[in-house]
Amino acid sequence: MENEIRPPRRYKRSKLPKLVRWIFGLIVLSSFFWRLYTVIIVQNEYTPDIWVRLLISGLVIGGVYSLIAIGYTLVYGILRMINFAHGEVMMIGTFAGYFVFEATNAIRFTSSTGEITSLSNAQPFLSILLAFIVGMTVAATSGFLLEKIAYRPLRKAPRLIPLISAIGASIFLQNLAQLLFSPLVRDYKNPDLIARGQGWAITVAGARLTIPYTGVLTFSLSIILMFALYTMVRKSKLGKSMRAVAADKSTAALMGIDVNGVISQTFIISGMLAGAAGVMWGLHNGLVYYYVGFLPGIKAFTSAVLGGIGNIPGAMLGGMLLGMIESIGPTALGISYQLKDVLAFVILIIILIFRPSGILGEVLSEEKV
Amino acid sequence: MNKKLVSPSLKRGLTFGIVMIIFVLIDLDVMVATMLSKLFGANVIRGSIPDVGFMVLFLILFGMFVGWSTSSDDAKPTTKLFQALVAGLTLGVVLGLFDLILNQLIVTGTDVRKYLAALAPESIRLFLFDQGAISPLLHLGLFTVASLLGSLMKILLKSESASRFFKGVKSGYQGLQAKAQANTPNWVKKYGKFLLFLLIGLLAFFPPRIWGSYNNYVVGLVGLYVILGIGLNIIVGLSGQLMLGFAAFFAMGAYSVALLNAPLPHGIMLGFWPSLLIGILMAVVAAVLLGLPVMGMRGDYLAIVTLGFGEIIRILLKSDLLTSFTGGPRGIQDIRGPTLFGQSFSSDIDYTYIILVVMVLSIFIYKRLERSRTGRAWLAVKEDTKVAQATGVNIMTNKLLALCLGAAFAGLAGGIFAARNQFTGPNDHQLMVSMNILSILIVGGVNSIPGIILGAFTLKGLPEILREIENYRLLVFGGLLVVMMISRPEGLWPATRPNIEKDEGNKLKENGAPGEGGLND
Repeated sequence: MENEIRPPRRYKRSKLPKLVRWIFGLIVLSSFFWRLYTVIIVQNEYTPDIWVRLLISGLVIGGVYSLIAIGYTLVYGILRMINFAHGEVMMIGTFAGYFVFEATNAIRFTSSTGEITSLSNAQPFLSILLAFIVGMTVAATSGFLLEKIAYRPLRKAPRLIPLISAIGASIFLQNLAQLLFSPLVRDYKNPDLIARGQGWAITVAGARLTIPYTGVLTFSLSIILMFALYTMVRKSKLGKSMRAVAADKSTAALMGIDVNGVISQTFIISGMLAGAAGVMWGLHNGLVYYYVGFLPGIKAFTSAVLGGIGNIPGAMLGGMLLGMIESIGPTALGISYQLKDVLAFVILIIILIFRPSGILGEVLSEEKV
Repeated sequence: MNKKLVSPSLKRGLTFGIVMIIFVLIDLDVMVATMLSKLFGANVIRGSIPDVGFMVLFLILFGMFVGWSTSSDDAKPTTKLFQALVAGLTLGVVLGLFDLILNQLIVTGTDVRKYLAALAPESIRLFLFDQGAISPLLHLGLFTVASLLGSLMKILLKSESASRFFKGVKSGYQGLQAKAQANTPNWVKKYGKFLLFLLIGLLAFFPPRIWGSYNNYVVGLVGLYVILGIGLNIIVGLSGQLMLGFAAFFAMGAYSVALLNAPLPHGIMLGFWPSLLIGILMAVVAAVLLGLPVMGMRGDYLAIVTLGFGEIIRILLKSDLLTSFTGGPRGIQDIRGPTLFGQSFSSDIDYTYIILVVMVLSIFIYKRLERSRTGRAWLAVKEDTKVAQATGVNIMTNKLLALCLGAAFAGLAGGIFAARNQFTGPNDHQLMVSMNILSILIVGGVNSIPGIILGAFTLKGLPEILREIENYRLLVFGGLLVVMMISRPEGLWPATRPNIEKDEGNKLKENGAPGEGGLND
């Protein structure tokens, strides 16, 4: 009998995970719509002005998320790594802006009308501009150094190693900031022109609500920056070489592109955007402390994945969407506002399970990843 | 001298200068000086300022390190000295400029602690050796001399004759070892390991009774983290899935024991042992629920999803939604301890025994698992998923199994942890816990039990013993993770290849390929 050849055992691919996945998805989706239906149609407690207010705050937060998400997407597109310390780069930008406002606020002089004012109130545009310039420069420098110290030596390592290095850098920067500036939560000193809580009053459906000045500044500036970045990537020589490096590093090098230089510049650009986002965050939310970058960082990553990581319009769309979901979601689903972070994480998990390539799709093909 | 020689040394001096400035800004210099003074037996009260001499010693050591690392290995002695001189001078000039600013602060009496919290006047004075305006010169001289000294040391220690000496010592030691191996009787070879473990076990029985509750606490903490490390190692090290939300499973175990065993909020009082079992079960159930949908994901996405899972669990535990069920942000108090044969078994000594026994059991289980068919399947999946699949390893089941087993260890540790503290709350299960466990694995060495024990001791035990480090612990963690990934991804005590391959006559990898125990994707 020893000559008998046994037929090879056939391994059936298990259908169970897919089934579980779909059942899980159906349950989540149906309960989601059920909640929406009960809260909005059946209970109908909220007047239109509340929705408008939530929409506005969602757009503002969404703009910040978009800017940070672009940083994740740029780095992921080029290096295929999650720059876990990107939130900390934003935190550094927030601190830089904070110090600029402290300094301009400390410079006092007597104005022509005879009152004593500080520089930040006498020249609000100048001081805001200065804060953004300093914040972006410092954040860009830290992004550049981060890449040079923590990521460049690991260019050829397996994928998880740079991720762990990034986690380490994130912990390091957070704690460095904590030790330098103490764990205290500090207030951002806005110039009076854009003081927090003040804004244009409008009337929606008979109710008054304000559009905050900081919100308008944040939103318009983030749109401008996004537009500038998009044009840069599409049109400029640097953008072209960035796209070339993202497509294929070795071929790009053969075409005479300085790959390391392009990667450095990518980190500088994403650091600049994160720094701007950080100053905006400080101006709008008013708080700065060492942990300020962590949650926006994770959420911006969620936005990048939501829109399709590696895809710049995707990151913008994802950021805006996530900002709105986070701001409108808890009210629309009738859950406590404490759980808005849970909402963001649940969306991240659901997107990664059902459509890992995001809404607009990854630009990269699977084989390369 | 040409430019090629000067510019790297200059850069290095500048870098170290900035590092030292950051040290001063976060008060790390005073901490190190305090540690040094402790090392030399000075009795230091917490928060007090050490003697100036120790600061001088620290700066000399720092300068020597700069000199040592600046002198390149293959240069001539004079070149080495020159490099060290340049680096030391740069360092001295950078710090001298910094000293001028610091001195100005002292002279004008400005308090900058509103912005730079750690920069107290006493620490500045200590850093300046209390010398005021001449301290920049002192620093310049000190760093230059120390840097030259460091370089000199390198020249001496790495010279021909020195290396010959070390080689001689090494070969002599190896000869002795071989001789000893040849002379050992057969029974020692066979049972020696077993006897050694027995001896260690017997020895481990007495110390917990003698060395006091604080040491029991520290040993227990390290033991718990070893168990957690083993659990995470099954997931990360053996089956190669990076998991960042491990604390969620830990929370499952802790909360199961707490809810079933505390007067509030439910008052079930099931008893420790059954609830511990339920805790393990709950962790496994959570692992299956998490694992089934996300198992097919790419490595880095999996990491982020598990991170999100961990955060969801923590926020839910804290939220108003579940306050009536889990006690909300205040957590659960008065968790009842275990009993054994009707007797209370919950003094700190007993917990140390429980933890040590569980730890040894976990190590045993881990060792058996690693060599089993499943363990080899895990390694195969980790090394190359496609080849493993082609050889008939079911990827899905094996990965899920690894996740469940790892979660079971976490549940176990969580249950013991909650009962030992008699309290558990959402803050016990922060993201930082997951990161700590991961750091233990990576610093110690993936897939290596001695590595995990060493890692748990250095990262959890040492900061407990040396309280001065406490504030700087996470900073050092983060830095260590980066440095380890760059210079030594296989960990402090790397794993050797499991013997299975050698036994089957595969001589190819007998000495272990570099980076063996590291993380692959």
